[in-house]
Amino acid sequence: MKSNSRTKNLIIYAISVTAVLATAWLGTGCRKHAVGVTSLSSRETVIRSGEMLSFIPSAMTGTTPAVKSISAPRNAEELLIIARKSNPTTPQDETPGSGALMTEVEGQQVPMPLKHTDVRASVAGYIGSVEVVQQFHNPYSSKIEAIYVFPLPHNAAVNEFIMTIGERRIRGIIRERKEAEEIYQAAKSQGYVASLLTEERPNIFTQSVANIEPGKEIDVTIKYFHTLDYVDGWYEFVFPMVVGPRFNPPGTTNGIGAAARGSPGSTGQKTEVQYLKPNERSGHDIALKVEVDAGVPIEEFTCRTHNISHSSPSSHQLTVALKPHDNIPNRDFVLRYRVAGDKIKTDLLTHRDERGGYFTLMLYPPAELKNLTRQPLELVFVLDCSGSMNGLPLQQAKAAIERALHLMRPGDSFQLINFSLSASQLGHKPLEATPENIQRGLQYLRSLIAEGGTMMIEGIKAALDFPHDPERLRFVCFLTDGYIGNETEILGEVHKRLGASRIFSFGVGSSVNRYLLDHMAKAGRGTVAYLGSRDDGAKVMSAFFERISHPGMTDIAIDWGGLQVSEVFPRLTPDLFVGRPVILTGRFQGEATAPIRVTGKVARERFDFSVPVDQETTAAHKALPSVWARMKITDLSDESTYAPDPELPDQIKQVALDYGLMSAFTAFVAVDSSQQTDGTEGTTVPVAVPVPEGVKYSTTVPEK
Amino acid sequence: MSAPIQRSAEHRLGSFPNLLNNWPRRSSALLLALLLVFCGQLFAQSPTNTIRFQSVEIFADSQATALAAYQLEVTITSGNAKIVGVEGGAHPAFAEAPFYDPKAIQHERVILAAFSTQPADKLPTGKTRVATIHLQISGTDELKFETKLTTAASSDGKKIAVEISATEQRAK
Repeated sequence: MKSNSRTKNLIIYAISVTAVLATAWLGTGCRKHAVGVTSLSSRETVIRSGEMLSFIPSAMTGTTPAVKSISAPRNAEELLIIARKSNPTTPQDETPGSGALMTEVEGQQVPMPLKHTDVRASVAGYIGSVEVVQQFHNPYSSKIEAIYVFPLPHNAAVNEFIMTIGERRIRGIIRERKEAEEIYQAAKSQGYVASLLTEERPNIFTQSVANIEPGKEIDVTIKYFHTLDYVDGWYEFVFPMVVGPRFNPPGTTNGIGAAARGSPGSTGQKTEVQYLKPNERSGHDIALKVEVDAGVPIEEFTCRTHNISHSSPSSHQLTVALKPHDNIPNRDFVLRYRVAGDKIKTDLLTHRDERGGYFTLMLYPPAELKNLTRQPLELVFVLDCSGSMNGLPLQQAKAAIERALHLMRPGDSFQLINFSLSASQLGHKPLEATPENIQRGLQYLRSLIAEGGTMMIEGIKAALDFPHDPERLRFVCFLTDGYIGNETEILGEVHKRLGASRIFSFGVGSSVNRYLLDHMAKAGRGTVAYLGSRDDGAKVMSAFFERISHPGMTDIAIDWGGLQVSEVFPRLTPDLFVGRPVILTGRFQGEATAPIRVTGKVARERFDFSVPVDQETTAAHKALPSVWARMKITDLSDESTYAPDPELPDQIKQVALDYGLMSAFTAFVAVDSSQQTDGTEGTTVPVAVPVPEGVKYSTTVPEK
Repeated sequence: MSAPIQRSAEHRLGSFPNLLNNWPRRSSALLLALLLVFCGQLFAQSPTNTIRFQSVEIFADSQATALAAYQLEVTITSGNAKIVGVEGGAHPAFAEAPFYDPKAIQHERVILAAFSTQPADKLPTGKTRVATIHLQISGTDELKFETKLTTAASSDGKKIAVEISATEQRAK
């Protein structure tokens, strides 16, 4: 009995052990299968049934034709695949003269999962609605997940997200961010095609697309509304195309890291952008078309950033499009147009739906301001001399400051502060604007070079932490590309140290951090100006001097003429400067029974003007609820920067969910549950992007 | 009192021959442990703790009248389900993904609406799939949902009678 029992036990034990081993083996197999590309040994050639073989010209690869090497960046492994005839990458695809042809000859064509971005915008009045289609594909021989970190305007109210698979369109659902991330991860691990859109900064987003099978394409469409800026008589439509390489102070982990292509995780930051080397080209291109209906005649327009074609269907309409050869997404697209001067007036737009009334008011400064002259100024120029400003940006910033020094008047004073890893300054206190001191300032300015990191905090401390001369208006002018990852810290410091200063920020470069620069100016009760890589620094500074040569209208209060107005953002109406209107957005009930009356102070004198309200002519605009909700989210986010409150994230989240908008605490997720792809999940491939035009790779992107 | 302690010490210091000598007891313990491991694995793979995805296809039957617009409501009444996508329909007139109410979807209730400005001869008649809802489902509870038509209209803007139905679909 004992022997029999032992034998029986042994048999059961053997079966059990075999079963355990089999389970473990299967599990391992599944895991290997899950990582797809990584399971293939390097130098393995994959040929799939049904694939057409094509030959890549040896001129392109510089190697033996037929087989093209494609790496899977995250795992730093190299795969060899057979190029597909349906998706050839040949020199003819590239733009002659763009640098791409050269890189092709040198064999530096880099396959990327993002093939094309298509932008369609329409502008009505000063509200733009934009549709961005990102076309992802899989040029590899095994399944991938594509990750793309990209910019959008920081005031974009992103309210639509659609994933297109072939002819099928799946609308994404707005959810709490953590919940959306969990849904995406679950779908990804089970092999479902899924996409996720998250917000890393108000102007930086991450698009993740899971389980793109070899040779397949998946489009993701994002739609947003935003208000246009109005600067010195020109409306400005901006579409950012690339995130510039950011510097993160030591100890930061929640920043935006800049990594060389193929070195994921090297920055230690939560969000990471991989950059192509100067001689690399990904093949990702962009098309863009903007249709403007200004409502009044458009007198002129300009686009200094790109080559465009244009047409004007009527006097108040304008259509512009990028020329096909100008399709590399490496700088902001900026379209400016000017409408007939005497038509510009304070403008109220309203919209009512079942939730109530919404409005935006573009408040223009009264023309009388131009007839008044300013007080003496104390101008503090704070110049970013970090590595990212090396070359053209620094030259332009210097040209702008040089012009400013020449435009100063007797009685003004000035200071020059430069910062990179630390801050230095011209004198221990501001200098009188005498000819000798201005020459001294010019010499100091010319001696500055750009290198090192961007410890902007040092520049802020140096600029704001010294006694204010009460006889002069202190204007602090920051000239920077804003390539930092610790925006919250910087804005918090500005808010804390501002005192009596006003901050005017100048964004210098082709693809600057507009969120930071706009918010610095907003926190500093000043304005912002942009100096693109193709702009004249001296001209931009002259326009700024024209603006500050007249007093602003301060302490603004508004009588809404019988409208019951609530939740108006920004809560504190900004000062009005010549050439710079402000946009107020709020909710309302009832009807206006009298004109809106605006009062304030100009040079210590009371000043007021009226805005007639004709509700018959205030065009209804369906975008207004989204624009208002976005402004409320911005306001709550600013509040959480300046006075953190644990309840604010929930408030932001609820507004975003109720209005179906992206925010730091919400995300869009879309899953195609109708079909499971083979295996569990693919290799993650970050989309590497070029450094912005005018920015040097060598001084901004650390090599691994 | 001391004997169990000694056995316990022997067990801890037990060599391989000791293990064989005590085989029946040891094997039973080992088997029990293995069974627990297996049960654990089975439990982990059982639907109780799993997350799965599936879709629900929504059909509208407008009989002989061309369907130009609809608004309907789908409510998850049972089963731990989250809506993870809303897809357009089979007919080209309703191929675009329908709009949903973001407030309702927070409570796993989806109010869908779509319209087409196409002429009547380019609009669907009879039973047609107008939307597909993609779901993530956790646990084993049976999925139950209700569909309700809010309104539907023909191409000339007249309210029409439409029958709404839905069927569950598993992933291919």
